[in-house]
Amino acid sequence: MQRSIKCFLSGIAVLILIVAGARIARAQNASDLKLNEILVLNDSNSVDDFGMHTAWIEIFNSAYNTVNIGGCYLTDDLSNPTKYWIPTGDPATQIPSRNYIVFWADNQPTRGIFHLNFDLKNSRTIALFNADGKTLVDKVDLPSEHKPDVTYGRPTNESTEWVYLEKSTPGANNDYTKKKSAGESFVEFDPYGIGMTMIAMFVVFSALSMLFIIYKNMGRFFIRRATSSNKPATSAVSTSVKHSEEEMSGEVNAAIAMALYMYQSEFHDEENTVLTIHKVSRNYSPWSSKIYTLRKSPR
Amino acid sequence: MGNFFDFIIEHLAQFLQFTAFANMTVGHVIMICVGLVFIYLAIAKEFEPMLLIPIGFGILVGNVAFAPGYQIGVYESGSVLNYLYFGVLQGIYPPLIFLGIGAMTDFSALISNPKLILIGAAAQLGIFGAYCLALALGFSPTEAGAIAIIGGADGPTAIFLSSKLAPDLMGAIAIAAYSYMALVPVIQPPVMKLLTNSKERLIRMKPPRAVSKTEKVIFAIAGMLLTTFIVPSGLPLLGMLFFGNLLKESGVTKRLADTAKGPMIDIVTILIGLTVGASTQATTFLTMKSIGIFALGAASFVVATFGGVMFVKIINLFLKEGNKINPLIGNAGVSAVPDSARVSQVVGLEYDKTNHLLMHAMGPNVAGVIGSAVAAGIMLSFLA
Repeated sequence: MQRSIKCFLSGIAVLILIVAGARIARAQNASDLKLNEILVLNDSNSVDDFGMHTAWIEIFNSAYNTVNIGGCYLTDDLSNPTKYWIPTGDPATQIPSRNYIVFWADNQPTRGIFHLNFDLKNSRTIALFNADGKTLVDKVDLPSEHKPDVTYGRPTNESTEWVYLEKSTPGANNDYTKKKSAGESFVEFDPYGIGMTMIAMFVVFSALSMLFIIYKNMGRFFIRRATSSNKPATSAVSTSVKHSEEEMSGEVNAAIAMALYMYQSEFHDEENTVLTIHKVSRNYSPWSSKIYTLRKSPR
Repeated sequence: MGNFFDFIIEHLAQFLQFTAFANMTVGHVIMICVGLVFIYLAIAKEFEPMLLIPIGFGILVGNVAFAPGYQIGVYESGSVLNYLYFGVLQGIYPPLIFLGIGAMTDFSALISNPKLILIGAAAQLGIFGAYCLALALGFSPTEAGAIAIIGGADGPTAIFLSSKLAPDLMGAIAIAAYSYMALVPVIQPPVMKLLTNSKERLIRMKPPRAVSKTEKVIFAIAGMLLTTFIVPSGLPLLGMLFFGNLLKESGVTKRLADTAKGPMIDIVTILIGLTVGASTQATTFLTMKSIGIFALGAASFVVATFGGVMFVKIINLFLKEGNKINPLIGNAGVSAVPDSARVSQVVGLEYDKTNHLLMHAMGPNVAGVIGSAVAAGIMLSFLA
């Protein structure tokens, strides 16, 4: 009974931990979507699939997996979070990892799922809500004044700041400047690899030193425990057994293991030179049966 | 009738264009010879046959010259070999091999004498020595990182890291890593003998104590948490290594452990060996870079052995008489398990027929597996 109660309580504890963990852990889903770039006045910028210059909103999937934006809501009115429902079940709403999707804010929802039922002429806020229509995923307050064909967005994918961008990049990274790879940056400061060697060796030593420290102390603990638990039994052990234990040291074991290994290796070599062919006594085999290899004649 | 013969001759000529004879180059011939040497070394000399046979045969497969566009070669999208190669390119096979290695590794020697762990760290000097050399030879930082890992003497780790940092060089790096692992008994002894004196070679170490099951189970869990908390990028390798070890040491998942260390690691070894071998098509493999990689690989093994042996000599300065470590086990800090430990044993026996170092050398040897995976994680964090 007591055991069942313990099991039940443990189960509850694990459940609580999982639920708490799930809330704390950053799941890779719609919450990873970010409003990324917005063009309010489109005079001669990108055209939509109908050849029209209209305002657009770009969304970035910051997750490292594909996220489906279908079912989420876009709005320019926080009091009406479910203003435009992004249809579900369309493969086009799947945004690949670290990729972008563009919605046309032209108030022409009949033109396709990427055409919103509002435009941005009088919009002051753009928001993206989760599929429940209540949870705010991301929101941006637009400035009152806009220049034609100049977009408002995040200068980099990870930025929280919004600025007017020098170049509009619908469906692409806002940060178009040439970047050095991590390796190139590292080598710029450490052309001979000395720094890398020192840092890396330090990290390797740190990781393994921690293991060393833990196991040194743990070993002491286990030796002490083993010694204390063996004390009463020691007197009962006969001298001959003690002798045999002392004699069978690890080195002897190693020597025996090595000898066996070498013996077996040699034995194997010799055996390989012997060719043995056993006749299979079974005479019948489906492979030679006419029943399986010939078609029956049509009647 | 004449038309018929013309037709036959025309198609015969066309067929001949598709044969390997028509597409063969000197490079293909050279690579086929390399493959044959691998197979010879594996069968006649028993140098790492489990690896050299699949790789050697893979080299033969990869260097049968064919007309491109028929989805045959390892680099052609949609070919069977390309599908199998996917596991190499995406770094899937190495963690699976680590799972098997974990399931077959006994960390008792390490747990019973934890200071041997540090030798596994010191021997990683080979990796970073090779990194410096590769940079000096003009390799890009990512290429240098991928090449340097050869010094870790760990084939799966080398494949894993090169697939992330320099996929173009993966074939050459993998071949170099496995070749030098097979040549550990040739490369290491001269360095070990050069760095030690006769007194040091005769040091007798205390026999390792018996390690309880609890200690082994805790090691698998604590080892994973500690190392991956410091280097999370090593998680695919270290996570699988310690997971495999937990399967073994828990004692309650014998079937899973048996599968991991038996059929599964065998299947993955076959696939990784064959496809890595096949990736050495002469057209992509025979370059000056490949020669550089082989030279750096040899240098990295020498530096790694140097690092391990010298580290033991240094810590011996601080250890009391009776607790000293035989520097001949320093070479075992590279993770060529159990070849480098066997080298310690054989060299040790040359000087004292009764001084068996194998069990002691297994400690740094398995620590080397952990160390090289940690080093690969660091390279990945800094350079990727």
